[in-house]
Amino acid sequence: MERVGVFLCTGCDIGSSLKTDGLPELATGSGATHFAAHPCLCAPEGVASIRAAVDAGAVDGVVVAACSQRHKQAEFRFDPAAVQVERVALREQVAWTHVPGDEDTQALAEDLLRMGIVRARKMVPAKRRAEGVEQAVLVVGGGLAGLQAAQAAAGMGHPVVVVERSEGLGGHLARVREVVPDVPPYDRLRANPVPALARAVREDGRIRLLTGTRIVRIAGQPGQFAVEVEGPGGREELRAGAIVQATGARPYDASRLQHLGMGASPDVITSAELEPMLWRRELERPSDHQRPRRVVFVQCAGSRDQAHLGYCSSECCATSLRQVMAIHQDWPEVECAILYRDLRAPGQVEHFYRAVQEQSGVMLARGTVEGVVPAGAGLRVSVRDSLLGEKVEIDADLVVLATGMVPNSADGEAIRQLRDARARVARNESEAQRKAAEEVAAKLAHHDGTEILNLAYRQGPDLPVLEDGFPDSHYICFPYETRRTGIYAAGAVRAPMDPAQAAEDGWGAAMKATQLIAALGRGEAVHPRSGDFACADFFLQRCTQCKRCTEECPFGSLDEDAKGTPQYNASRCRRCGICMGACPERIISYADYSVDAVASMIKAIEVPDESEEKPRILALLCENDAYPALDDAAARRAAWNPWVRVIPVRCLGSVNIVWIAESLSRGIDGVILVGCKRGGETQCHYVKGSELAHKRLENVQETLTRLSLEAERVRVVELARNEMARIPALFDEFAQQLEELGANPLKGF
Amino acid sequence: MASAIEISPGRSFREEILRRGGGDAVRCYQCATCSSVCDLATSDMAFPRRQVLWAQWGLADRLLADPAIWLCHQCNDCTARCPRDARPGDTLQAIRSLAIERLGAPRFMARLVGRAGATWPILLGLPVLFWALLIQATGGFARATAPLSYTHVVPTWMIYVVFLPAGAFALAAAAVGARRSWAAWGRGATRSGGLLRGLRGVAGEILAHRRFAICGAARPRRLAHFLLLSGFAGALLTTSFLGVAMDGLGVKTPLPQIHPIKILGNASAVLLAVGVVWLLASRLAHPRAAGTSRGFDGFFLALVVLLVFSGIGAELGRLLLSPGPALALYVLHLGMVLALFLTFPFSKFAHALYRTLAMAHERLTEQRRPS
Repeated sequence: MERVGVFLCTGCDIGSSLKTDGLPELATGSGATHFAAHPCLCAPEGVASIRAAVDAGAVDGVVVAACSQRHKQAEFRFDPAAVQVERVALREQVAWTHVPGDEDTQALAEDLLRMGIVRARKMVPAKRRAEGVEQAVLVVGGGLAGLQAAQAAAGMGHPVVVVERSEGLGGHLARVREVVPDVPPYDRLRANPVPALARAVREDGRIRLLTGTRIVRIAGQPGQFAVEVEGPGGREELRAGAIVQATGARPYDASRLQHLGMGASPDVITSAELEPMLWRRELERPSDHQRPRRVVFVQCAGSRDQAHLGYCSSECCATSLRQVMAIHQDWPEVECAILYRDLRAPGQVEHFYRAVQEQSGVMLARGTVEGVVPAGAGLRVSVRDSLLGEKVEIDADLVVLATGMVPNSADGEAIRQLRDARARVARNESEAQRKAAEEVAAKLAHHDGTEILNLAYRQGPDLPVLEDGFPDSHYICFPYETRRTGIYAAGAVRAPMDPAQAAEDGWGAAMKATQLIAALGRGEAVHPRSGDFACADFFLQRCTQCKRCTEECPFGSLDEDAKGTPQYNASRCRRCGICMGACPERIISYADYSVDAVASMIKAIEVPDESEEKPRILALLCENDAYPALDDAAARRAAWNPWVRVIPVRCLGSVNIVWIAESLSRGIDGVILVGCKRGGETQCHYVKGSELAHKRLENVQETLTRLSLEAERVRVVELARNEMARIPALFDEFAQQLEELGANPLKGF
Repeated sequence: MASAIEISPGRSFREEILRRGGGDAVRCYQCATCSSVCDLATSDMAFPRRQVLWAQWGLADRLLADPAIWLCHQCNDCTARCPRDARPGDTLQAIRSLAIERLGAPRFMARLVGRAGATWPILLGLPVLFWALLIQATGGFARATAPLSYTHVVPTWMIYVVFLPAGAFALAAAAVGARRSWAAWGRGATRSGGLLRGLRGVAGEILAHRRFAICGAARPRRLAHFLLLSGFAGALLTTSFLGVAMDGLGVKTPLPQIHPIKILGNASAVLLAVGVVWLLASRLAHPRAAGTSRGFDGFFLALVVLLVFSGIGAELGRLLLSPGPALALYVLHLGMVLALFLTFPFSKFAHALYRTLAMAHERLTEQRRPS
């Protein structure tokens, strides 16, 4: 922006910890055209003073030198089309955390101010995208979660299309008589609500049902999905603004559970196989069609077992309790036993658990079943780790294995690797390459034909999945979110869950989908940068088709043309800036966030001579977790080394290596990057950002060593949102380590 | 490891325990609150948690062969604290009543008394009827003229003829039960000595009611129980002395009120009366601690009350009432004494036998809690 005004707040201890006399001059020196101080800038009078300057046309860029960007957002929000706002956190990073009036404190504040002014000057006005946004919601899967999502989205005024692969609605619950109670008093079976829901959806004029239908292709982006389906009536083109994937789960393949007697006797069945008997009200042993006198349920059959499913499927306990109750009601003379490792009856299911426990002829016992073998006319179940510490054996006429659930998902990234490998085989460029590709293709061949959504995305035709096949993106904060913007997962495909949770999921995902459609209508991103309407700009003339951005985007925003040039889909984009961090040509930028803007901020840091013995440290903090943690540390009046200059970044993944090179070449002694937890327990809001930053930094450290700079000058740290107490030590220890290393030898060059 | 336990979770055992006023062991979720509050629990004996688990799994044989069930004084701390209302204390009481029934011989008597909630009219009525018919047949009622002398109506020989065989029966049945339980316990543990050594070891503890003092919630019951026990001991001594005095020394009844035997008898009666009233009152005042044991406990208490008060009534009635009602009370008293003799090994009274044995067994197996 050309006319940058600095508005200094002297409230909240800022005025008393700084010498403000020289600041107007400093602002002008840095290119600001306007300077004003106010004792309480967030008060109506203070805000009015900014507005007056804006309205008078005196400024088009505003530097609010007051509190952190996370506070007073409503007060300091101006029309982004007319004015750009940059926040300088003098309160958190100076007044509350450093010695008032100290020389180092003053230098810190002045640096921060210079950095803010430069950043504001580098900002350009963003244009709001205005494209047609399709209001319809596509729901994939007509089970409980899908039906609930369809009903919810329709209720919120959106047209809905439900695509269901099978002929009927209701999924696994279509032929279940009664379900675990989710209404008080929670102690008796409740009529299955799914048939009524399916009826309501069928009768709902706003919802179109396409059963016996599969998805051939989904192209485009949120707000403008072009969906091609194939059903009994042939192929058809649909439009959708957002997609809910509620494809549910299937029981774990029980044929692998031979250690639990599967295959050894026809009288060992799964809970899914018991269901039709309960539905028909014909309980019988498959071997002789006699009614069993005793049924033994084996919990965790293949779940919580690293050889099978590593996770708890969370609803098998409740299902067994339900089936026992159903057996007890219809055939009270049949004895039932449930053998469990831990009976998990979360929430109000506890009441139902108690009710089942008290039925006559029902026994629940803890232990790990280690064998089911035919014995005489029946079966013998042996149990270890019983509560008595002794082995236990129990005879049964029928054994029911409570198998866990496997998501009905497709591993989009694996399918893409498979396709790429096959393409390499076909190209047959070299013997070695072909061989390697053939190996990959063979290993991934089982993904063949698993496609569900058939997305026309460079990164693969389906949602990326987590370790266990669940297409979730970020397990802590964002349920329903997947790694494809505008496509939300609901129900058992997202995580193992019971019917009540699946229904709730349907609601949740529908709300996310409609929220997205509304945000796109305003030309804005969805969270975590909700309200942001500046998109990534690609200066494609300089693109070298290295494909780093298309590969590294966590959300599959970028497709490629035949040459490999990125094709940006703005409404798939979450504005994390990971492409900006990846780009070696630095051709990707945002109106308010760019490689150049941050590099200029780094240049605005005054680096004293080595003789002054005042090192400088650049700290790049992820604005999702680390920066809020810093604010919290400041609010608790933590104190840390005054040589640290903090710049918030959208994600550690958006950190371009050139910033580190710039810092070190300017004589800054060290750079510390603080981002989210990564790995299996990732807390990165953009899934891959923290991981990528670590990988890129390893390369940087190698380069540093080659340049005879100590690799220790650059450090990446993981910090969780609640670890504000670690921050002072983090900075202080790094500063101490840099002191031990000595000054950056590039100082003064 | 020994071969696996076979569990057969039928409903019969659970229903048996519930029928006997026990708690519902299936509710237990093994939180171990019961063991934490129970003074009998040790680091290697999770009492009564383990017993509740056995009950949950229908392991009746284990429970009935477990001496630990007898060590419980039914303070019901565990029941009061149980978060799932599984009532372990009541369960143990029910198991004890089942054990008494299973150990008793002959079986029909054990069953009859075991179901005292239903059979009490027979158990209490038949002995009274027996005495009434016997006195009638020997012309006793015709001799009931003022001043009333009970010896005159019911001659001493008749007392001997009835009570000596009845006592012998009781002793024999108790001996069978004692032998069975002692042998069963011996199979599960190595004892460091014989029964007599064990009994010597615990006699003082029993007489002093030390266990009651340790069991927190049972402390108020300690004195009442002590009074009752002393009263029964006194009554036994009175009867013995009286037999010796009458047959050996030719003493005639009724004795004067200042006769030492009379004083001992009266003192015992007072102890019994105070003890039983106290126990009854505390049961009524603290129904939760008393538990929900049904006919089995009720029969025992009713028998003691009727026994004590018919005895006192007969004694006072001889002086204060006309011969008819006084004699009626006396016949009632004789009936109750007979009922006591005949049911002793099968009623709750048998706890005196089994608990003593269990304490002796415990002493000999050194499974003592650190004191």
